[in-house]
Amino acid sequence: MDDPPSIPLPLGRDRRDDLSPHLRDARPEAIYAHVPFCRHKCHYCDFYSLVDQRDRQPAFVDRLLREADRLKELTRLDGVETIFVGGGTPTLLDPPLLARTLRSIRSLATRPPQEFTVEANPETVTAEVAQTLRDSGVDRVSMGCQSFHPDHLKTLERWHDPACVPIAVDHLRNAGIQRVSLDLIFGIPGSTLEDWLGDLETALALDPAHLSCYGLVFEPATPLVEKRRLGTIAPIDEDLEAEMFEATRERLVAAGFEQYEISNWAKPGERCRHNLVYWRNGDWLGLGPAAAGHLRGVRYRQVPRLEEWLDSTPPAPVVDLERAEPSVQRGERWMMGLRLRDGMPRDVVESLLEDDPARRLVVKRHLEAGRLEWRDERLRISDGALVVADLVVSDLVVPDGVVPDGVVPDGAVPDGVRPDETLNP
Amino acid sequence: MKVRNFSIIAHIDHGKSTLADRLLHATKAVDQRTGRDQMLDSMDLERERGITIKSSAVTVTHEFKGETYQLNFIDTPGHVDFTYEVSRALTACEGAVLVVDSTQGVQAQTVANAYLAVDNDLELIPVVNKIDLPAADPDGVAMEIEQVLGLPAEDAIYVSAKSGKGIPELLDAICDEFPDPPPATTDKLRALIFDSNYDDYRGVVVFVRVFDGELKVGDKIRMMGTGRTFTVTELGRYTPFPEKLKRIGQGEVGYMVAAIKTLGDVRVGDTVTLEHDAAREALPGYEEPKQMVFCDFYPATGSEGGGKRSDFESLREAVERLHINDASFTYEVQHSEALGFGFRCGFLGLLHMDIVQERLEREGGVDIVQTAPTVSYMVDLNDGSTVEIHNPADLPDMSKVQAIREPMVKIEVICPEENIGDLMKLAEGRRGIFKGQRYVSDTRQILDYELPLAEIIYDFYDKLKSITRGYGTMDYEIIGYEVENLARVEILINGAPVEALSLICHRSNAEYRSRLILQKLRKQIDRHQFEIPLQAAIGGKIIARETIKALRKNVTAKCYGGDVTRKRKLLEKQKEGKKRMKNVGSVNIPQEAFMAVLEQED
Repeated sequence: MDDPPSIPLPLGRDRRDDLSPHLRDARPEAIYAHVPFCRHKCHYCDFYSLVDQRDRQPAFVDRLLREADRLKELTRLDGVETIFVGGGTPTLLDPPLLARTLRSIRSLATRPPQEFTVEANPETVTAEVAQTLRDSGVDRVSMGCQSFHPDHLKTLERWHDPACVPIAVDHLRNAGIQRVSLDLIFGIPGSTLEDWLGDLETALALDPAHLSCYGLVFEPATPLVEKRRLGTIAPIDEDLEAEMFEATRERLVAAGFEQYEISNWAKPGERCRHNLVYWRNGDWLGLGPAAAGHLRGVRYRQVPRLEEWLDSTPPAPVVDLERAEPSVQRGERWMMGLRLRDGMPRDVVESLLEDDPARRLVVKRHLEAGRLEWRDERLRISDGALVVADLVVSDLVVPDGVVPDGVVPDGAVPDGVRPDETLNP
Repeated sequence: MKVRNFSIIAHIDHGKSTLADRLLHATKAVDQRTGRDQMLDSMDLERERGITIKSSAVTVTHEFKGETYQLNFIDTPGHVDFTYEVSRALTACEGAVLVVDSTQGVQAQTVANAYLAVDNDLELIPVVNKIDLPAADPDGVAMEIEQVLGLPAEDAIYVSAKSGKGIPELLDAICDEFPDPPPATTDKLRALIFDSNYDDYRGVVVFVRVFDGELKVGDKIRMMGTGRTFTVTELGRYTPFPEKLKRIGQGEVGYMVAAIKTLGDVRVGDTVTLEHDAAREALPGYEEPKQMVFCDFYPATGSEGGGKRSDFESLREAVERLHINDASFTYEVQHSEALGFGFRCGFLGLLHMDIVQERLEREGGVDIVQTAPTVSYMVDLNDGSTVEIHNPADLPDMSKVQAIREPMVKIEVICPEENIGDLMKLAEGRRGIFKGQRYVSDTRQILDYELPLAEIIYDFYDKLKSITRGYGTMDYEIIGYEVENLARVEILINGAPVEALSLICHRSNAEYRSRLILQKLRKQIDRHQFEIPLQAAIGGKIIARETIKALRKNVTAKCYGGDVTRKRKLLEKQKEGKKRMKNVGSVNIPQEAFMAVLEQED
């Protein structure tokens, strides 16, 4: 096993807050639990994770169970409909510990959840793990494949053998878990459009119910960023990345998938209900070190140091507790809501724009420019503007900035003045 | 007492200051006892008030062949942009000591300064300095002086200013070879102002050389060029400690204080006479200071208001403060769409511009964004009038313009022989006209070219230095204005002309220059949601075009619950960055883009 990379993790500010007052009135619709162990830290990953030290698994599980019990006392959990266990690599837990953990988390929900997802790395999914998941009530697994090209996996410092993906999928199906989602990353340095289309085909051949396709992001404070700084890797051309994105849409639609979010595709009925809570600005409760949560306008993150979290008495101290100003909260709703391809319902849009002339103007201008559109009484980013969704969103997050006048959408740009033409503006 | 008025002239770093110090030490102050007391006084004063007393003329005495000589050593400004000031200082002298470093040989400013001295009919004593250094070649350098300037090699005095070797011989030569001041030509007072500086305590201190009559404390005087009148409150000289005098006699040098508030009231080269008994004619050679190079200074950070004092106000204060000490640069408030409020400043030359910028930043504590320098153009209009412009944006409508004249310079480059070819290529690429080529020694040559000032204000000197690996030296002199086939190139971004990017250049290389600028802009400006045409145009005709393709990137790769706050803050930060950019024709242009135009490539 390699030494963990010496990259500073986002440890939060020194300030610690007590979440209890906010738990009292909350009624979350979802639960997110974070398992921070990884076999190896991948070089693009900015999630909180620690290279596994097996000796700490029991302590972790004990503490998580106590946290679950305490949260049950502190907040109403009769509205919980989805559970998502992420990481890290939850499936790295020893099967008995994994079973205890999952059952305990599941028992938090007053009624059986409508969706119970666990994240997995392909090399960790044995028949035993698959059966443990199923026996613990898990009905959906999100598996990080990222790429089927060993050289691209190496660029990401992802160490699994691509050949173990179909095996893992088989184990899951054999155990009775049909809802399998695969994560893929495009735009890996050195990759070509053909490589990417090949990855898509390989994934489709496994008949997943759901696909998450992300453009690679150089997250701050990751080894990838350091390598870019040192010049050992270079981001791919942005036009090529855009091409990969467009090709993804075309291929997956042809394969019967719907793009229901900027980076997520699902077969009918297979959308991730848990993630929809995030994009629709719902409330969810966080469990485990570094887990984020959102309760009635308050965003927070549980303390992101394993030792500190282990030593604390539940509920865990939280960092970055923030109740943003109403205008900022509205910005976040735009930011998340416009990620959905169904867009935002007219009544939500109207209530958000009430008393917000600045954003009303932004919406008007982007509608005129064709980057936003109304479809079935819902406001969404138009297909053509998906590649610049961030720009539209940033105008809505900070509506007082520069909104260019008279800008026109892609494709409809007057070509400007040609060489040798007389200028006559 | 016999009087000798002289200067030391040299190429930079050839040891002028060390030699001057050595000469002062080797001589006696006029009155050593008084001098000592006054030194203490003045040092206390400096300590108390933080005043720096700068002396432009020092008076010492030397015994030669049983006679006492009063030696007035007149300092000259240290760089080439002050050619006029140097020439005025030399006018106040009868002789000049020409110092050449024995390890470096004759350099461009050696030649330029020697010519200035000869033009002023000065007697020259060649001195070969730094002879104690291992690399010294005094005989070779003396030969160079003979070869280039026609001063016999055997007349050169070999000196080590550091060890003092040769100093007595030099002092004797100064007394022996330099002539007496010429007799008066009129009985009216005529004194030449050859320098001035600003003293927080006394106001302006003026340095004068009395040619005719005499100057006394209490005299009501008039500056013949500016017409301003003042009353003399103090006269004196530095020995090198300030020593007050009641009068400065004919042929002598000293300083004058007359309750003059700003340096702008005093012009180097002007003649001082008596208000009620004025001379009929001023001394010849007076010129108004002429700014030849212009550029804008903007505060590097763009805050124009807010709670605390704005950066523009800090810049204004620094500019005004510096102007008290250097009246030879001009400034006026400038507003650029792109860079906000700043100042358009005029300078005597390139080095002057660099010095002013450096002093503003160092002494004024402001960070400055400097725009591309431009020269001053004379525009002859169809109605027969002429306007002077120093900003491409001010160029009148070309249909009214008959001709545009631009300043020309004569440059003299001294360089190793093996670089001649490359330097000729450089000069000719900058519209240079070859004027001559001479040998300095077996291995070095002088190249003479005439070319437009505009062609050397960007990076000519840097290029020269890199071609010659630092061994080349250059001096330039403005020789007048010439009609050239010039045009204003407008830069259009997304169809909108951007004034701050426009430039005046020769038609023959307008297309090439434009293309380089557009290529630089293309790199500096981020891709937008739409295609951005970048164009260069002369009078409505497009001469170059580049395109910034529309942005096509899905940077919104993934965003789940735990990412919300961070993602939002990232977007806010990006937006904040954009706000600092200038929005022109719907395009966000970063400040760096305006600076990028500065660099010129060959």
